Amino acid sequence: MNKTGLVFFKVLIFLALWQAAVMITRVPGYILPSPVAVFSTLVVNIRLILENAFLTFGEAFAGFLIANLISIFLAIFIAFYQKIEDVVMPVAIALKTIPVIALTPILILWFGSGPLSKIIMAMLICFFPALVNVLRGIKSLDKNLLALFRIYQANRVQLIKMLIFPSILPYLFAALKVSSSLAVVGALVGEFIGSNRGLGFLIVSNYYNMNTSFVFAAIMISSIMGISFYYAISFLEKRFVLKSEGMI
Amino acid sequence: MNSIEVLSVSKEYAKGFYALRDLTFSVEEGSFVSIVGPFGCGKTTLLNLLSGITEDYCGTIKIKDKSPVEARKTRKIGYVFQSPTLLPWRSVIENVTLPQEISGTEDKGVRAFELLKMVKLDCFTERRPDELSGGMQQLVSIVRSLALDPDVLLLDEPFSCIDEINRSRFHDELLKIHKQTRKTTLLVTHSLTEAVYLSDRVIILTPNPGRLKKIIDIDLIRGSDTLCFSDEFLGYIKKIRMELSNE
Repeated sequence: MNKTGLVFFKVLIFLALWQAAVMITRVPGYILPSPVAVFSTLVVNIRLILENAFLTFGEAFAGFLIANLISIFLAIFIAFYQKIEDVVMPVAIALKTIPVIALTPILILWFGSGPLSKIIMAMLICFFPALVNVLRGIKSLDKNLLALFRIYQANRVQLIKMLIFPSILPYLFAALKVSSSLAVVGALVGEFIGSNRGLGFLIVSNYYNMNTSFVFAAIMISSIMGISFYYAISFLEKRFVLKSEGMI
Repeated sequence: MNSIEVLSVSKEYAKGFYALRDLTFSVEEGSFVSIVGPFGCGKTTLLNLLSGITEDYCGTIKIKDKSPVEARKTRKIGYVFQSPTLLPWRSVIENVTLPQEISGTEDKGVRAFELLKMVKLDCFTERRPDELSGGMQQLVSIVRSLALDPDVLLLDEPFSCIDEINRSRFHDELLKIHKQTRKTTLLVTHSLTEAVYLSDRVIILTPNPGRLKKIIDIDLIRGSDTLCFSDEFLGYIKKIRMELSNE
């Protein structure tokens, strides 16, 4: 059995045990719905769930993209003007230490209950890993390579394009993989508190209505979304980093 | 005519700590000169000054009548580090064309290919550096330093990471490169055999701080397989070793 087949088999065993446990214990559906109930809810509401999932993913992706672009830009900027690090890093660490969920009401107050507050939530979560990792990548650049580019009179654009950016790719992708799933969490948390759309909203509103099978179906889709995002980044990493470095 | 002029050069790192002190020597155009000396004699510092990487020092340095910084700015210096410093994501030929790309003088890899052909690496042009042996990577690094046709070639212990058995092959390749290009070459090395085998002249430095101890002209007829075992060759090694031990 290949790796995918083995994973599929394990999931199937888990679902069978879950179904059997629900049937034997006769636990009420609003406490623990059976997998069959979850799947039938998913099938019936697939359009509604997917529409909201796309919305959540859009917010998560936008936050992810903006935060990582800012982080890369900032890290490269710090590389050239190192004194800025003393200003930027304490702010970045402070942002990292504040639990994002605690900021949600304030963000909704400031940026409204629309997608913007969720995008900013996702941004806040994604910002730190990329900044720290890219900075680490820049700091571990081979000093001789930097001297070589200096001897050849490379300008800053050439230095970034030909040396810094390709060198930081492994560090950047490590951060992107971490923040890809975190971005989805950020958007979901934002939707929990102040939204009338998105997967987070569906989860909370159906929880209030005791529609637990719907909650499970929405959680399943959000989880699939996070996993797919992670593997999409891994795919890009293999294409642009591992292959180019001859690591696999 | 001298390609490199070093006149009363001193380099102080911390107050009272001199890496080089009152160093004076010159390197004739087209010649191959080695600098030997124990640890702490400022060999790498000297190369950093000559290449214009380190800009603050006392004394005068001229690279073909230009200051090292001017020579660097006009891309007239070729530098080879102890490690190959190749970009792992670029192919061999892309690494060799890197200086041309930076200077905007690309010729679609024509010169790079010629240089690689000179060291018989033309069949590895599309390979990645990690597919080559350490010595071959260092040869790529040497030919890359020639890509912009520099006035001087500075080599900082380029073969120190290569085993003794293979090193002699790369010495011959380096001699071949020098014979064909006639670039003024300054080699920093710990290996006395390497210095005598490759150079027209050996400059011996003292440690802490680096001062000129002695300049020894090497007059050997190269090309013979048994050169390294000849009395003449061994005599030069003995002479340098004695100078180094008379601290």
